[in-house]
Amino acid sequence: MMMDQRRLFDQETRKAKNVLGTIRRFSVYFRPYWLNLFAVVAFTLVVVYCNILYPELIGQAADCYLISTPTVQMGGSGVPTADCWYTDITQLTTTEAKVSGLLGLAFTIAGTFLVSALFTGFSFYTMRLAGQGALRDMRGDLFGHMHNLSIGYYSRNEAGEIMSRLTNDMDTLQQMFNFALLNVFQGVMIIFWIGVAMLRENLVYGLISLSVAPLMLFVTRYFSGQARKAFRVARKEIGQVNADLQESIAGAREVQAFNREEESIAQFQRANEANRAANVRAAVFTSALNPVLEAFSYVALGIVVLVGGFSALNNQPLIEGTAVITIGTIFAFIAYIQRINQPISQIAVLWTNVQSGIAGGERIFNLMDETIEVVDRENAKQMPPIIGEVSFNDVEAEYVKGEKVLRGINFDVKKGEMVAIVGPTGAGKTTIINMIPRFYDVTGGSVLIDGVDVREVTQDSLRQQIGMVLQDTFLFSDTVMENIRYGRLSASDDEVIVAAKMVAAHEFIERLPEGYQTVLGERGSGLSQGQRQLIAIARVALMNPNILILDEATSSVDTRTERVIQSAFEKLLEGRTSFVIAHRLSTIRNADMVLMVKDGQIIERGTHQELLAHGGAYYDLYMSQFKAEEDVA
Amino acid sequence: MQAVHSAPPMSVRKKRAKGEKGYLRRAIGYLGHYRTMTFIAYGALVVATLAQLVVPQLVQAMIDGITQGAIAQRVLSIPNEGVQAMALSQLNTTKEALQTTYNNAPSWILGAVALILVVAVFRGLFAFIQAYAAEWTAQGIAYSMRNDIFTRIQRLSFSYYDRNQTGQLMIRATDDVERVRLFIAQGLLLTFQAFLLLIVTLTILFLTNWRLTLAIIPILPFSVILFAVFGKISQPLFRDVQMRLSKLNTVLQENVAGIRVVKAFVRQNREQKRFDDANMDLYIHWLKIARAFSFLFPMIFFVGQIGQAVILYFAGSQIIDGSLMIGEYQKFNLYLVYIFFPLGQLGMIVSLMAQASASAERIFEIIDTKSEITDKPNAVALPPIQGDVEFREVTFRYFNSTAPVLNKVSFTAKKGQTIALLGATGSGKTTIINLIPRFYDASEGSVLIDGHDVRDVQLDSLRSQIGIVLQETNLFSGSIRDNIAFGRPDASDEAVMNAAKAAAAHDFIMEFPDGYNTSVGERGATLSGGQKQRIAIARALLLNPKLLILDDSTSAVDFTTERKIQAALDNLMKDRTSFVIAQRISTARNADQIIVLEKGQIVAMGTHAELIENSPIYAEIFASQLVDDSHPVAEAV
Repeated sequence: MMMDQRRLFDQETRKAKNVLGTIRRFSVYFRPYWLNLFAVVAFTLVVVYCNILYPELIGQAADCYLISTPTVQMGGSGVPTADCWYTDITQLTTTEAKVSGLLGLAFTIAGTFLVSALFTGFSFYTMRLAGQGALRDMRGDLFGHMHNLSIGYYSRNEAGEIMSRLTNDMDTLQQMFNFALLNVFQGVMIIFWIGVAMLRENLVYGLISLSVAPLMLFVTRYFSGQARKAFRVARKEIGQVNADLQESIAGAREVQAFNREEESIAQFQRANEANRAANVRAAVFTSALNPVLEAFSYVALGIVVLVGGFSALNNQPLIEGTAVITIGTIFAFIAYIQRINQPISQIAVLWTNVQSGIAGGERIFNLMDETIEVVDRENAKQMPPIIGEVSFNDVEAEYVKGEKVLRGINFDVKKGEMVAIVGPTGAGKTTIINMIPRFYDVTGGSVLIDGVDVREVTQDSLRQQIGMVLQDTFLFSDTVMENIRYGRLSASDDEVIVAAKMVAAHEFIERLPEGYQTVLGERGSGLSQGQRQLIAIARVALMNPNILILDEATSSVDTRTERVIQSAFEKLLEGRTSFVIAHRLSTIRNADMVLMVKDGQIIERGTHQELLAHGGAYYDLYMSQFKAEEDVA
Repeated sequence: MQAVHSAPPMSVRKKRAKGEKGYLRRAIGYLGHYRTMTFIAYGALVVATLAQLVVPQLVQAMIDGITQGAIAQRVLSIPNEGVQAMALSQLNTTKEALQTTYNNAPSWILGAVALILVVAVFRGLFAFIQAYAAEWTAQGIAYSMRNDIFTRIQRLSFSYYDRNQTGQLMIRATDDVERVRLFIAQGLLLTFQAFLLLIVTLTILFLTNWRLTLAIIPILPFSVILFAVFGKISQPLFRDVQMRLSKLNTVLQENVAGIRVVKAFVRQNREQKRFDDANMDLYIHWLKIARAFSFLFPMIFFVGQIGQAVILYFAGSQIIDGSLMIGEYQKFNLYLVYIFFPLGQLGMIVSLMAQASASAERIFEIIDTKSEITDKPNAVALPPIQGDVEFREVTFRYFNSTAPVLNKVSFTAKKGQTIALLGATGSGKTTIINLIPRFYDASEGSVLIDGHDVRDVQLDSLRSQIGIVLQETNLFSGSIRDNIAFGRPDASDEAVMNAAKAAAAHDFIMEFPDGYNTSVGERGATLSGGQKQRIAIARALLLNPKLLILDDSTSAVDFTTERKIQAALDNLMKDRTSFVIAQRISTARNADQIIVLEKGQIVAMGTHAELIENSPIYAEIFASQLVDDSHPVAEAV
């Protein structure tokens, strides 16, 4: 049976590969709270002790006060001697004495209940104090580490995926440290102590009475495991229902335009039906779990009564030479066995949470262990104020080992020059500009700014002096003011406004409901693409860098905004060394140097006129894309 | 409406609460669809609950059997006759009677245990049936509700979608339905069970020993109060944590998605500080929950347990003075659980019910929405469209807004003409094309196709003859072929391919490994905006409509592709009446008629040559709004 159980465990939960290692990592975060953990264990022991005290006290109540065997005191023979530690039994001859003794016992019992409740509270609170603290520290570390990770990591992994992994894993940890772990611990302790108490009271009787417990544990695990499995199917189905819903709501106009309502409804009903069927299947197991467990508890009760009852009836021990079972013992055992049900189902259900928590922790630690590709050298200096000369010397780059995305890139740019980079998608344009602020490290050659290798200075001091406007404008859910100020945190409000005016963003910002104090929605929603871009440009204008990197947006904005952006760019570029991934002919025309990139290499370079005259790849590009449009116009 | 507004706030709230209850009742009314299963669930619940109530009786029987038997055994086994006689007299019984008791004890105990096992199986069976049937009906209700929501959503007019966001509608169909389901599967049943248990148990207890029962009654209000406190405290606390958590996640999300910006501006320290603040805030709120919950739960248990101590004393006193059997005490103790347990349940249910009521209201809000656009009772099928379209004094206002989006717009499009619509954002271009397939109804005036008012014909017959390419293209999960054949699922492969070729989509489709069978949508291949658009064009062309509507259709593709599409469209528009929202100069130039709109009114109408001569507005739009061609996309797609 043990084997079967293991198999079930393995199937059911995602388990950590290295449980001990993960626990060791956790322990680092719990170290500041070791006193708490110690207290949790102590408190739990008190709670568990109170829990098992009750059945014992009830047993005493029966044996010492309630069972009227009046002849006992006189006859003396065959009397089971009950252990009444609360009061000396010999004093209890009168009814009054018994009642007052009983009152004392009732108060004692109420007292243990109170102590148990309080210490349960203490233990959970202390545990949560430690758990939440450890989790807070872990989150902080994790977040810090995410900034250390190189851009390479973020290009290899989808942002959405990283997010859902982090939030899910953190959630499982939260559950584990909030209640699952302590509940399981308490449950185990209670079962253990009750077991010990029963066995100590009467070994044989105890063994027989406990015989059902493992079976209960197994059955609970089985049913909850099956339910979990069934629910996983149901989750998939509800995912389908949601996808259908999402699609049909988003595409409702199309559905109506093409007269597809009937089909669409029929299709949804099918998915909906499958979801219902999956859920109802899962319900078989969830519905069965409690009734089955309860039935088992009755079986256990029956065994306790039957075995104990006959022994007491005959006044014979179960096995020759052991103690006779008193009625008090039976009472105690009834109470014990009733107290064992709840922890058993609790452990069975929550153990999975603990396992998932450990697995979630392992994944988070794995992320923390992710190697950082771009690191500051040990003796890295501060980058001196940048003048604006950039050279690429034989630069090579690869994202995946052995697959070069850049080869033999060579060029020199003088202060204040503008470089336009053109070429097909995937040619390596973005990689080239990513090398300048050292988002990636070269795998061969070097990138020099003012003659300084970018790897010899700290990343912070380097990037602080390079302005970037990326294609996918990213804004924070904060005010417009703060979004622009992001370029230079020390800038005053006036300086922000000056920067916005410089790039002609001021006008539309003023028209926003609350001007510069307008809070932008998630990722700047509420603004048009063009407006978002203008804010990003203002951000860089405020920063006032000597090197500028621009990735021109390909997406369509309306023509008026387009022009505003264009002139904002032109203003921004004045007097700075700039690199532009160009999509507009006017940009290319203005460039001091055009680099035509293909397959990770620069295949042509020169001014627009020179390249046209050359009649090579750039000429072809121009003819197929730019020239045709000039004709149309 | 007015009356409610002028009423004092308190009564408004009352009315609202009453309204919510009404919605919940309506949701419960869905049980009517599953009458048999509902009956089974509640029937099984009654049986299982009553079976549960029998158990303490049996336990009492067992214990009394053991105690009596054991005492009898002890007395009978006293060797000293005198002492035995004294004991007998003290117990007020005879030796024979004790002997009978002793002899009967084993079968008494055996019988009781056997009965308990029978009851256990019986109860287990019915408890299972009850839980399963309840879940079955609840899932059924969720299923029916989702179907109703979906069916309703599919038939609502466009103005409804303008007012409601996809995400909000999604929440109705998922979270809200789930809450109602949970309440009906568990809450409703548990309420019933709780009352049943409470009433029957209290009755039994009163009947067996009313004095003992009175002893525990004072405890009941305490547990009710504690549960009320619990409900009151827990909800806002969890809401707070949820809020903090989503704040933290926003920072996290922004830093994952915007990592380049953070790195480019070297703002790690600032971000770390933002995160630490949010992190600390979350931590503090978790601790608040920890403080409240760590002690509240044990206290609730404690109140329930106190009953046991109280019973021990009062019952014990009765046992000692001989008026109560010890088995009865045990029975009492067991029944105690059946009193405190349902009280606890009721506490939970109250909060469950509040949530379910609010959710039910939101659900029925959708289901009750009337579609503004429906067939007239005597609507006829629109005969095959020739292609004449006339707008007669059309005015259009959005739902409860006074400013018209279109103001007295009149024009005529002749069969086969291309009409280009021009104007700034919000000038009413999109509204005009939406009125033709009757996505909205005109507020005043009429839209005529071949002389038929669009409101007089059947919607299906109207829309199936109009090819539409909307501004944003949505594709549906399925193959590319299915998507092109969206409006004509029975179209032959050849027809689909021809449409794709005409829309310049064939080439890129064939580049996918699975060609036309490539699946798209949610879990399929991702298509670029331009590719999606070409599929949308193919989809419209497959209908071979006499009337074609294109909204901004060619703005998101690179120039090379655009020219291909443009050529295909020029070709296709030839024999059709086409309405095009123009973004490109070439489109406007080639149109038979250009309609220039400003603030919902036609300000100029004519051909390119005419307008460039005598319409300054057109000249300005021509110069500034249309995409002119010196800024093309340089990506080689």
